[in-house]
Order: sequence, then structure tokens, then C-alpha cells
Amino acid sequence: MKQESWFRPYVTANFWRFLLIVILGVLTILFAGMLMFTSGYLISKSALRPENILMVYVPTVGVRTFGIGRAVIHYIERLVGHDTILRILSHMRLRLYRILEPQALRLSSRYRTGDLLGVLSDDIEYLQDVYIRTVFPSIVALVLYAGVILAVGLFDPAFALLLALYVAVLILVLPLISLLLTKRKNREMKQARSNLYQKLTDAVLGIHEWYVSGRQTEFLTGYEADEAEVDRTDRSLKRWSRLRFFIAQCVVAVTVVSMVYWSGRQYADGSIDVTLIAAFVLVVFPLMDAFLPVSEAVERISQYGQSVARLQAIEGADASDTKPNQGQLLSKAEIESVKSTGIHMKADSVSFRYDQAASGVSARVASDDNREGSVLTDVSLNIPPGAKVAIIGRSGAGKSTLLQLIQGVLAPSEGSLTLGGVESTRFGDGISSAISVLNQSPHMFDTTLENNIRLGSPNATEAEIRDAVAMARLEPLVASLPEGLRTRMQEAGQRFSGGERQRVALARILLQKTPVVILDEPTVGLDPKTERELLSTMFASLQDRTLIWVTHHLVGVENMDEIIFMEHGQIVMRGTHTELMERYPRYRNLYRLDRPAI
Amino acid sequence: MGKDLLGYKGAKTVFLLVAVCTLAQSMAILLQAKWLAEAISALFAGSTLQEQGDTIALFLLAFLARHGISVVQQGIAQRFAEETGASLRKQLLDELFQNGPAFVRTEGTGNVVTLVLEGIGKFRKYAELTIPRMMGASITPALVWLYVFMTDRISGIILLVTMPILIVFLILVGLAARKQTEWQLDSYRMLSNHFVDSLRGLTTLKFLGQSRQHSRSIQQVSEGYRAATMRTLRVAFLSSFALDFFTMLSVASVAVNLGLRLINGSLELLPALLILILAPEYFLPVRMVGADFHATLDGKQAGEAMQSMIREASKSPTDLTFKIEDNLLASPQTKPHFQWDNESVLELSGIGLRHEAQGPASLEDVSFRIPGRGKIGIVGESGAGKTTLIELLGGFMAPTSGVMELGSMKLDESNRREWRTQVTYMPQQPYLFGASLEDNVRFYAPEASRKQVEAAVKAAGLSDLVDRLPGGLAEMIGGGGRTLSGGQAQRVALARALLGGRKVLLLDEPTAHLDIETEYELKETMLSLFQDKWVFLATHRLHWMQNMDYILVLDQGRVAETGTHEELMARQGVYYGLITSQMEGVQ
Repeated sequence: MKQESWFRPYVTANFWRFLLIVILGVLTILFAGMLMFTSGYLISKSALRPENILMVYVPTVGVRTFGIGRAVIHYIERLVGHDTILRILSHMRLRLYRILEPQALRLSSRYRTGDLLGVLSDDIEYLQDVYIRTVFPSIVALVLYAGVILAVGLFDPAFALLLALYVAVLILVLPLISLLLTKRKNREMKQARSNLYQKLTDAVLGIHEWYVSGRQTEFLTGYEADEAEVDRTDRSLKRWSRLRFFIAQCVVAVTVVSMVYWSGRQYADGSIDVTLIAAFVLVVFPLMDAFLPVSEAVERISQYGQSVARLQAIEGADASDTKPNQGQLLSKAEIESVKSTGIHMKADSVSFRYDQAASGVSARVASDDNREGSVLTDVSLNIPPGAKVAIIGRSGAGKSTLLQLIQGVLAPSEGSLTLGGVESTRFGDGISSAISVLNQSPHMFDTTLENNIRLGSPNATEAEIRDAVAMARLEPLVASLPEGLRTRMQEAGQRFSGGERQRVALARILLQKTPVVILDEPTVGLDPKTERELLSTMFASLQDRTLIWVTHHLVGVENMDEIIFMEHGQIVMRGTHTELMERYPRYRNLYRLDRPAI
Repeated sequence: MGKDLLGYKGAKTVFLLVAVCTLAQSMAILLQAKWLAEAISALFAGSTLQEQGDTIALFLLAFLARHGISVVQQGIAQRFAEETGASLRKQLLDELFQNGPAFVRTEGTGNVVTLVLEGIGKFRKYAELTIPRMMGASITPALVWLYVFMTDRISGIILLVTMPILIVFLILVGLAARKQTEWQLDSYRMLSNHFVDSLRGLTTLKFLGQSRQHSRSIQQVSEGYRAATMRTLRVAFLSSFALDFFTMLSVASVAVNLGLRLINGSLELLPALLILILAPEYFLPVRMVGADFHATLDGKQAGEAMQSMIREASKSPTDLTFKIEDNLLASPQTKPHFQWDNESVLELSGIGLRHEAQGPASLEDVSFRIPGRGKIGIVGESGAGKTTLIELLGGFMAPTSGVMELGSMKLDESNRREWRTQVTYMPQQPYLFGASLEDNVRFYAPEASRKQVEAAVKAAGLSDLVDRLPGGLAEMIGGGGRTLSGGQAQRVALARALLGGRKVLLLDEPTAHLDIETEYELKETMLSLFQDKWVFLATHRLHWMQNMDYILVLDQGRVAETGTHEELMARQGVYYGLITSQMEGVQ
């Protein structure tokens, strides 16, 4: 499939800015060259001791103008360059977000989220270097190249050809050799670096184990050997870059000497004025400065490849993903009218299996925990408005799939799942106004407590927020903070304990005012006291909603209308707490774990 | 800048070598200018190219010598940077593995990894660039100036006057850079965080129905960031603009001044040309310092951060005597010196521990005598000190006060490391290395045979899983491999502990995060494997306590009660309180 590249559209969109940057870049070098040219001319002319000082008036002004002009133009060039790059960066971010947004709920099963997202955002940052360090300097060099050769060609086409050859070594031959020589090494090094990164992260995360094992030396020796290998590659790359630098300087030297000979002969032939000898020779140095960095700029190309590839893969993944056949999506008004009925949820012998051919990735992840392709088999539910249902099962029993079916992210392979008589998939993004979800680790955004709560309903009034805070029993916490609701959550909400963060998330959900609430193992990792307190707050504040509660413990299940045990994608036990206690010894055994004195 | 590098091994020699190179290079610069000026002015005076052939050849030689020396100099600096960086990394890693968990806890995982991998790179770049730059800036301009001054006083004075202005602006560049770095820490990080934050919170946003609207927020923040950055850059670039401006102005002034005096006849073309060629060379080294300043600043900071980390770690109270090199001696197969039998007791008296000198105590005045065998439960509310006690018992850290004795052996700095080799530790979420399942199980006993691994895997109840995995025991797990569920991970840790064959087993909350069915099955497996081990199990899940031989009840860092489940229930104290509160339902 054809993908929009991560490079070209930005050139087209910013064409005029790019042009301006290139023009300014060329002018910067040109002015530096002209400064030396006019200086050389000025003193040569002066050495001839003209009668009138006005004879050197123009070069005198020229020298000053070019000197000052270079500094000014270079300043403007840098500002325009950075401004353009920041514009592009902001577009790229938005684009990446728009690619990821529709896949949000399927994303977590496909990637180890945190890492990948960080990497992607770094990739985009990396791409800005393409312009500043590679594209702009190379184009400026090419334009100057053409300009200089043309200008010399007016005097002497043969010498222009010679110059063209010299400079071609700098901007074509050396960069090409450089690219060929270093491409593999650069790639190897990047790979080796990322291996080192994984290795070290792995060791640091498992430091307890290493510490206890008494095998530290073994690791360190191995790790240092790998590092030494990378250093060796790095050293050889650097050696080449020094050699390249020297070769380039040799070309500069040859050019200067050629220029001396050429201008000397031209003067002897009477084609140029004697005052131009110094001018022509001196102009070589600043002009060459534009050509020298091209090799390095081109060598970087091999480093961008990986970033671009990764970004393109993400885009491609979206396209190849199977989205549920959504049929006719409901309009906002239709969703409202379904909601007004209170949403009766029914699952009628629902089965689900991943379509192996269409979505290889998801299927592979899912089959980690399931022997067969079938993830859910013959699941029926009947949850009237306001009912409370607990779902229990091992990881991989099919709980998450069931939740995704309820939310309409997946469509059943067989059977039907309806909310208020409508297929759940037809809700589309509108599902969030019917069902809210509180999972194990709700994300706390790096903004104020209030903004985090307000996310549930951006237009909520102060009073509504206060109510939600009170219902989630956050008041003592808020009162204890000097800045109250305006306290920042800090990154990942690390400032608050697990229980407190779940309460913030609860307040958020209360504001969302959906008839159905899914609680997806909200108390994992909390101590029993916090767990019980949090659950009682949740049950009290969500009294009038339909509750689907996936839980790992049996604390609080007495309050449920139905408890469902899932295993291998099927419901194996169901009933109220009392019924299960009577009927199943297995249930009694489990229940005892949560009631230590029975 | 650069002075801090002198503290590293071999730095003085490198500084000296680079200085010699710079000196030679400066001479080449002078000669190159001299011969070029001579050739041009001779041509100007009407000499032929043939006559100037020698001078031009000499120029060529000087020019190449200049850049050749530069290559050598870069090579010296690069070698030094590489070696210094490598030794810094080695020190850091040594400290990391010596001080282990405590080190990572204070520094943070991400921080340690980033510093070792990226910080070293930045530091190397700093060392590699700074030494030649500083030498260049202090030697070359002085020599060039002296030569110019001797050739023509007035030009010398113009150049001399400009230099202080340039240096003032160089310092301003430095200040602007620092300000920019600080500003970047705030604003730049804010933006980048906002974006990563948005991506990480995408699922939550989606649940809340806010994900689509949020793209507007991303756009706004990005645009706001651009505006703010440009405001700062306008100022930040201004100082390097000034650097450029004054250099160019100075060269132009010298040129115009030379021209005027040439017209007067008070000067010849040769010295004028020579000075014109040398004027940019005079400023070049200083401008290069300015240009590389930004690039090297964070390298310097990274170097300082690593130094202080190493200093901090080597000061830390744990295991002052522990040397990595000795570690081989203490591998599991060497005979343990710790001997205790069923009659021995473990005695803690007056143990206290503070993580920070001024901070609150995690444990205070902990004293108890318990049998050196069997299964010991440790319970208490969150923050009561359960985890700290486990880490203390495992010898992961030293108490800040008090004595710990096993049998007649006192556990102290001299034998803590050896004690650790008798201990297996299972945290709530045991870490699985990015390696094969087999190697993960073999972690404590790398020399174990396949048969032994299989036996351990079977005993830990992993046979089903292994049969289902396409790669069997060779299947990659952990980071980059197959993700295991919490219960499976615990079983891998259990197999690891079994194969390791160490006598002491420390468990910190092994089942609280698992679903209740997995917990139930795992408990069965674990209890059967606890038979001939000395087990310490810290947990909130009080159902374990009925299977324990002895229970330690902690309350706010102190031992509240000790005894068996029955004894403690009869006592109706803290333990009884914990049990009854868990018996209450929700609401």
C-alpha cells in the first residue's frame, strides 16, 4: 500500500520557507566570500596608490557591508530555520497522534505500550535533524557549487571545469564513499547500542537477582566486552572521519594553488586586472567552508532510516488491522435515546475468535494464553439496568476479550451482543457516553488534579466537580494539599498513592455520568485495607449504575447480583454469592483465602 | 571549562601533547599565511609563476602540515576521551553492582541506564572537543597576534581591542546557553512530556471519549511551544550573532585601515596581505569554542553527575569492604561458612534502620528470637516495615543500629555478602530476564544440567506451560520475548529458587496481585516446596499465616507481637485486629 512519506509532504508544505532558508544560507557564505574578495581587491588597489581616495570608496564600503551583512543574514537564517523545523515537528506530532488515536484500545495488546510510545516520540524529534543537519547544508552547497562554477565559467570555461572537478570531490565523491563505507558500520553500531541498552536495562531491573546471585563479575565482563566492541567500531568510524577531513583539506590546498596559478596566468595574459589576484585567491577559503560539511551531512542519512521505518510500520499496522464491521454507526441523538432506556445489556451465545489471516499480530498475542484460536465460546449474559455483576478468572480466561466485545471494540464471531437492543459495535466512539471504564492503572495526566477530574466532562461546573470529589471521598486528600484541586499530579501521578489515584479516576468517571461502568481490576496492588475502603466508596457512589466488575479477589462479591467465573473462554460457575457458597466447594475454598479466619 | 578534565588519569600527558600539537599547528598557520602572501604579492609585483614555484610549494607544505597536525591532535583527544569514558563507565557499573538495589533505588532505573549509555557518550564528546578547543583558544590567537603586532602595530592594536569584546560575548553565549539549558529543562521537557503523556494516556482518553478532541490540545501546546522557543532563540542566537558581528567588523576594519595606509604609502602590500590572511585565523579558535559550547555543556554536566554518583555510592554504608573482584570466590559452589542446625536461633536485638539519615525510621528497636528453621510469617499494615525487614534479613542492606546473630555467628559487613549467597529472594513481581525460560530458571545455578532444570520446572508446576510453548524450555521470555502472566512469572521464580538450592527463602508479598484462583494453586505448590527450607514470607494475605510455624507482627516499624496463629488469635492484639478487619465485608 502507498504511504505518505514522513519527509516529502513537509517540503512541499513549507516550500517558500525552505527556499528562504536556502537563499539565506547561500547569502551567508557568499557574503563571507565577498568580504575576503573585496578586502583582497581593496588592499591590492590601494597598493597601486591611486591619486584619489575615492577610487577605493566602493570596496571600502563593500568590505564593511559584507562583514556586517554576513553576521546579520546568518542570524536570520538560523531563526527561520528553527522556526520552520518547529512547525514541521508540531505537524508530525499531530500526525502521529492521529494515527495512534483510532487504534488506542487495540494498541496495548500489540505493543508493550510505554516503551514504544516513547521511542516513537523520540523518532519524530530525531527527524527534525534531517532538515537542519542534512537537507539545508547539502542544498546550500549544491546551489553555491552551481553558482561558483558558472561565475568562473564566464572568465574561463576550462578552469571552471577543473574547479567543478575539485569541488565535486568534496560534495559528491567523498560523501558517496563516506556513505558506502560507513553505512554498514553505522547500522551495526546502532543495533549494538540498542542491544547494550536492552542488556543494561534488563540487568538494572533485575539488580536484586544479580545482587543475590553472586554472579556480578560474569555480567560485567560480558557487558564490558560488548561495550569494547562498540568502541572499536566507533573508533574506526572516527578514524575514517579524520582521514576524510584530511583528504578534503588536501582538495582545498590544491584548489588554492590552482587558483594562484590560474589568476597569475590570467594576469600575465592580460585577461584580468592585477588587483584581482589576491581577491581570487582569498575568496577560495570561505567558499570551501560551504562544501566541507557535506560529507558529514550525507553520512547521517543512514541514521534516519530506522526512525522513518518505525513510523511507517505504525501507520501500516493501522491499515492492516481488522476493525469490526460496524454496520450503521449510531448518531449522537440515537445514542441518547438508547441511553434513556437505561441500557439493558444482553449477550446471546457469543463466541469470538481472532481471524488468523486478517490480523496476525493480534491473534499471536491472544494465543499466548489460549490453546486454540477461539477466545470466547458460548457466553450469554443478561444484565438489566442497575445490575451489579462480578467477573472472575485467570489471566487469559477471556475477560478482556469479553470487555472489548461489550465496548464494541471487537465484534462477536457468533451470536450477538446488544446494549439497549443495539449491537455494541454500532456505538463506535460514542460508546464512551454509554460506558465508562476504570482500569488497573488509569493514566494521570501531568496537569492539575482538577483538570484530571474534569476530563470526565470538560464542561462540568465547579459544583459538579465538588460533588464528584465528595462522592469519591477525595475531600480529606484535597484538604491536605496546600494548593487543593490545583495541585499538579506530576508525571504518571507518582505523587499520589495507588488508592488515591484510583479515587481521582473514580471522580472522573462519576463526572462522565454513563449508565454503565466497567471496573477492570481496580484494586490490584493495593493493600487489603485500602482495597476494602476503595471498594466501598466505589459501590456507594455507583449505586444507581450498571456495574461490570472484573476482580481478582473475592472481597466485596457479596454485594453483587451475579458472580461469573470464566475459564478458557467459557463461563464455568455463575450465581449469587450465597448460591455459589452452597453449590461449589471450589468456590468455598477460594473464598476462604479472603476470609483468613474461616 | 575543561579544568575538571585534568582530574582524570593520564589527562596531564594528553593536555601536554595537545598543547605541543597546537603550538606546531600555530607555527604552520603563520608560515602558510606568510608564504601565500609572499607568492601573491610577488605575482602582483610582476614576478612570474615559475619564480614563485618554490614559495607556493612551501605554502602547500605548511597548509597540509597544519591539517595533518590537526588530525593527529584529534586522534590523541579521541583516544583519551574513549579511555576516560570507558573507565568512568566501569567505575559506575562496579558501584552499581556492588551497592545493588540501594543504588538503583536512590538513582532510579531510567536514570542509571541513561547515564551509563548516553551520559558516557556525551561526556566523551565533551572531553574530545574541549581539550583541543581550549588549547587552540589559548595558544593560537596569542601567537598570531604577536606575529601581526610585530609586522604592523596598528593592525595588532585593532585586533587586540576586539578580543576582549569577543570574550565578553563568549561568556554571554555561555550564560545564554546555561539559561537556554535551564529553560529547556522546563519548557522543552514540558512539551515533550505533554506529547508522551498524551500517547501514554491514550487508552484513558479513549475511555473518557476525549481522545479526538485532545488532538487540538496537542496542536495548541506544540504551537505555544514553538512561539516560546522562538522568543528564547531570538535572544540566545543574539550572542552568537554578536560573536560573528565583531569578528567580521574587526576583519573589515583591519582591511580598510590597511587600505588607507597603503594609499598613504606607509605600508607595503606584503605585510598588508599577510595580516589580512591572518586576521580570520586570529578569531577562529575563539569562535569555535563558542560554536561547540552548547554541544559540550551537557557532556560536562553528565561527567559531573557520574562523578558525584560514584562518590555517593562509595560513601554509602552498605558493604564498604565488598570488592567485585573477590566475588568469584563467593560463587554458590564454595562451601558456606554459615553453619546452623535445627537448634540454632536467629536473634535480632535493637535493630533500627533509616533509609535517610534525617528521615523517619523504617524499623526501630526490632528485637526478637526465632528458630533458625521452619516457616516464618511477617505481617502488618502497609508501611509497617515488612519489606524493610525482609531486605535486612537478606543482607541487602545493613541496619543503622542493632545486632543480628544467627547461632553464634554475628551478621556484619565481613560476612553479609557470603550470607547473601545462601539466600533466595522472591519479590511480588520477580524479574524475568530477557533470556530463554531455561536460562531464567538457571539464574542462580548456571551449571545445572538440563535434567535438573526439568525437575525444577516440574516441581514449580510449569510443565504445562513448557509443553504449550513452541520453543519449550528454550522459549525466550521477559523483555523482548513472550510475556508471562503474573502467576507464571512467580512459578519461574520458584523454579529458579529450587534449582539454586539455597537454604533461605525470602518472599515479599508473592501472591497479592494475582487472581484468587491462581493464588490458590500457587499456594499449594509453594507450601509443598517450603518443606526443607527456612522461609520468611511477608504478606498482607493473612490466609498464609495458618501455614506458618511462627508469625512476626509488625506495627509502625516495631515488633508488636510474635507467636503462632493460634497464640496470637487468643491474645486478641494487633494480629487479631488485622484478621477481624479483613473478615468485615465491604460497606
